[in-house]
Amino acid sequence: MSLFDQFLVLAAIICSFSGCAAISMDRAVEVETVSAVAEPGYSDSDSPVGGTIYFDYDKYNLSSSAISEIRELAKSIKSSSSKVRIEGHCDERGTREYNLALGERRANVVSELLQVNGVPSSSITTVSYGEERPVAYSSDESSWSKNRRAVVKVL
Amino acid sequence: MILRILTSLFIIYSSFLSSDLRIEITKGIEDPIRIAIVPIAWNLENPPREYLHQIISSDLESFGEFVSLSPKEMLSLPNSEQEIFYRDWKLLDVDYLVLGTASRGESLQEIVVNFSLFNVTRERLMKRSISVGSASYLNALAHIISDRIYNEINGLPGISSTKISYINQNREPEQKYFLRVTDIDGRNDSSIFSSSEPLMSPSWSSDGKRLAYVSFEEGTSRIFIQEIYTGKRKGLKLERGINSSPNWSPSDKYLAAVLSKEGNPDIFRYDLENDKWKQLTDHFGIDTEPDWSPDGRKIIFTSNRSGSPQIYEMNVTNKKIRRKTFEGTYNARARYTPDGKSFVFVHRRDGLFHIAVQNLRTGKLQILTDTTLDESPTISPNGKVIIYATKDKEKDILAGISIDGKTRFILPTNSGGVREPSWSPLLVSTGN
Repeated sequence: MSLFDQFLVLAAIICSFSGCAAISMDRAVEVETVSAVAEPGYSDSDSPVGGTIYFDYDKYNLSSSAISEIRELAKSIKSSSSKVRIEGHCDERGTREYNLALGERRANVVSELLQVNGVPSSSITTVSYGEERPVAYSSDESSWSKNRRAVVKVL
Repeated sequence: MILRILTSLFIIYSSFLSSDLRIEITKGIEDPIRIAIVPIAWNLENPPREYLHQIISSDLESFGEFVSLSPKEMLSLPNSEQEIFYRDWKLLDVDYLVLGTASRGESLQEIVVNFSLFNVTRERLMKRSISVGSASYLNALAHIISDRIYNEINGLPGISSTKISYINQNREPEQKYFLRVTDIDGRNDSSIFSSSEPLMSPSWSSDGKRLAYVSFEEGTSRIFIQEIYTGKRKGLKLERGINSSPNWSPSDKYLAAVLSKEGNPDIFRYDLENDKWKQLTDHFGIDTEPDWSPDGRKIIFTSNRSGSPQIYEMNVTNKKIRRKTFEGTYNARARYTPDGKSFVFVHRRDGLFHIAVQNLRTGKLQILTDTTLDESPTISPNGKVIIYATKDKEKDILAGISIDGKTRFILPTNSGGVREPSWSPLLVSTGN
């Protein structure tokens, strides 16, 4: 791991707890604030384990419940020595290529927390789909909040 | 050769299908130029059933700059300059008049159109011109004539012979993504690649023969280059992480693109001769959405290095970077106008996303659209018209606006969601 990678992991951890003030983006006028909570019941993963972490608009920091969800995930991934693929997604607002970058940040922050909790980096692949693979199609907060997600798929 | 025959058969066949993406003006300018295209006289025993004057009229009317007089309203149908009574045309408020004759060329397939453009107000001939085309491609021939007329009157290249590429997504019966190319008038719309995984970011080469785009067919984003007319396809050297936002340099020697192999997205340059990536920006923020300036010296891109996405311009030689947008907290995906003096981009105001234009020298920003989820603006090669992606209720649609904001139009379609329009360069030389 290079010094820069170590810095990234460290930054991600600090971010997770501090609300990421330094590098998160601005918040737009928003009717409803949905915090990044993990809802294991809702998932676009076919696998029995795995999970979906949700994010705020334009953000990629993790809520405390998302952090505990990822810790639990890390335990089950380690105990089964599985490989996982993390897919980062965004809602439709904003430009597609910028959202591709934002989706990658979401996948990365989950990946880094899994690694901090003992999942070897060699077991993790990440991909960003940006806003290209929504699970809900309306132009409203109820769809948008479902689409801002990182999906951990156990391979 | 067989492939060429098949391709042309396919093009002829597909032109009979109900075509997509017809331009529908929703707001025109108050004082359009009034033109009369007299039906072209055919010196043929069996003239084709397609009416050249109709195609030329609708070409010129496409973006609201012209209105054409229907032949039914014409007081006479002159065939030559001697038969023109300017007073009649002035009575009808016509500014310009076009007369023409069509005849067989040297081969059976060749059609030669002789046409003349007259300025009615000044009562004089402006231009006499001969256009030669194929009987099987009368549309293409009509577009060339339209572009000559446009060029003569407006002093700018006409865009009737240009094309648009775009992404089409069908959710039923199964998730499918198509990369499509269509003539600007909606004819010859065809899919050049399709996949069950997302396709993104089509970009035309400067020679108009290739498209670069992003495909997820391998489970990760990868940039491909495809020859439009042969279908020949090649993936660029794949790097770890995001491979996105391809954009051709004016010389077609390089692509600017985005890679996140160093851990975060930066702008890179791909050398097409030796298949090598070279890093151009290096910042821990997100750098993406590059576009090459028309002179090839600069690259405009989006970066959130200041805390929110803003537009920056980089000098490609010395890598000096200057921030260009300061209004608002979301400015992204800029595209240079063909004169290199301005850029159009996505601007957020009050939480809504609009297309805006900004002058590079004065910094003056003007919001052009009143729709609210606008993105992916693309500019016509003559700099007059912008087509962009937006939403109509739940559906992804394309819409357009003239760069002066006066004309608005939509491009309705019945085939699923459409997005990421990319306007071709000029494909036919309309010089004299």
